Amino acid sequence: MAVRKFSLAEDGVSESIGFILIFTIVIAGIGLVTLYGYPMLLQQQTGANERIMEKNMIVLQNDVKSLAYKTVPYKESSLKVEGGSLTVYNTLSTPPVATFSVTDCVGGNYVDPFPSGDLRYSSLSAGAEISLQNGAVVTRRLNEPGSVMLAEPRWFYDAPTNTVVLNLIGFNSTDIMSRAGIGTVQIAMGDTDYKTYPITGDLCIKYDSNPDYSDAWENYFRNSLKMTGTGPEYRFPLDASKPATLVIKKFDVTIKSL
Amino acid sequence: MARLNDDAQWIILMGFLVSFSLFFLAIVINQSTVVGQTIAESVVEFPKNDIRDISHVIKEHAVSNGVITDKVHRDILNLSIQRKGAVINYTLTHDTNYHSLITYNNGVTTYSENWTSD
Repeated sequence: MAVRKFSLAEDGVSESIGFILIFTIVIAGIGLVTLYGYPMLLQQQTGANERIMEKNMIVLQNDVKSLAYKTVPYKESSLKVEGGSLTVYNTLSTPPVATFSVTDCVGGNYVDPFPSGDLRYSSLSAGAEISLQNGAVVTRRLNEPGSVMLAEPRWFYDAPTNTVVLNLIGFNSTDIMSRAGIGTVQIAMGDTDYKTYPITGDLCIKYDSNPDYSDAWENYFRNSLKMTGTGPEYRFPLDASKPATLVIKKFDVTIKSL
Repeated sequence: MARLNDDAQWIILMGFLVSFSLFFLAIVINQSTVVGQTIAESVVEFPKNDIRDISHVIKEHAVSNGVITDKVHRDILNLSIQRKGAVINYTLTHDTNYHSLITYNNGVTTYSENWTSD
């Protein structure tokens, strides 16, 4: 409580100068928020959209895993796609999205080039893409080289039996579908195919993709599967002293709707 | 003389409190997008029943005469990889007791079991 006992000298106080000072401070505040604060907020929003979509893609990957490895016939997930669109490119789309070949390293094919197709989120403003292809979630920036694998597919090598198991998952749909906003992704299991090959020589995997995710897959091949080679063909480290087996499981996953 | 009325200072204080709490709430909500896959992977995906099935079928066939015929052996391996997506291998030995060593691998879980009959 300020109680004035005596009047101060107020000769220098000017109402208009005070007004100008206050007005300047207010305008400067508004200007700062508009120039720096608002773009920062927008950036945060696109970043959040991207991260939410990364999580959504992992949810979808888990759906595909349930279908392929646990023989669940049908799955659906509701998700919100913001700041971009989710599109399915099926196995028949040209040029093929991602192609996997399994060869004996000298020209013979165990598996003909297998187009996997993908389920792809393209961000409008951030210039990022997230793709669910062949059971893996990969992401890249459009204006920078390189790509990263967020979740790995289930390919594995069993040392005691010298067996390589490769799961190839292809997306099928009636045509190219796209979705922005809230929607339900309905996925159903189609045909499955299972083949076993005895391997006498080497085993190579060749990866080819149209939006370039080769860095992500190279990291997976070289670090997780301990393969050698620098792409596009990678050699599997098999135990030459024992008979080796290659198991190829193909899954045909149908995207009913987005 | 004029008195300055500052009874409403609590409004400004409440404003501060609310804005700070919103700020911390935003941080907490922000963390929620990170959680997801790993917990589900490790707990839900342990293939307990698959391993039990395989272990059971191998022991059932082994105890009859200590070995499993080639055809049944191939069937067990093929069914396991085709239906369950798991590579299994086993060896059976027989002295006074029966022994089985089973290894199981489905890409996420690797499991081995050493069993002796009594």
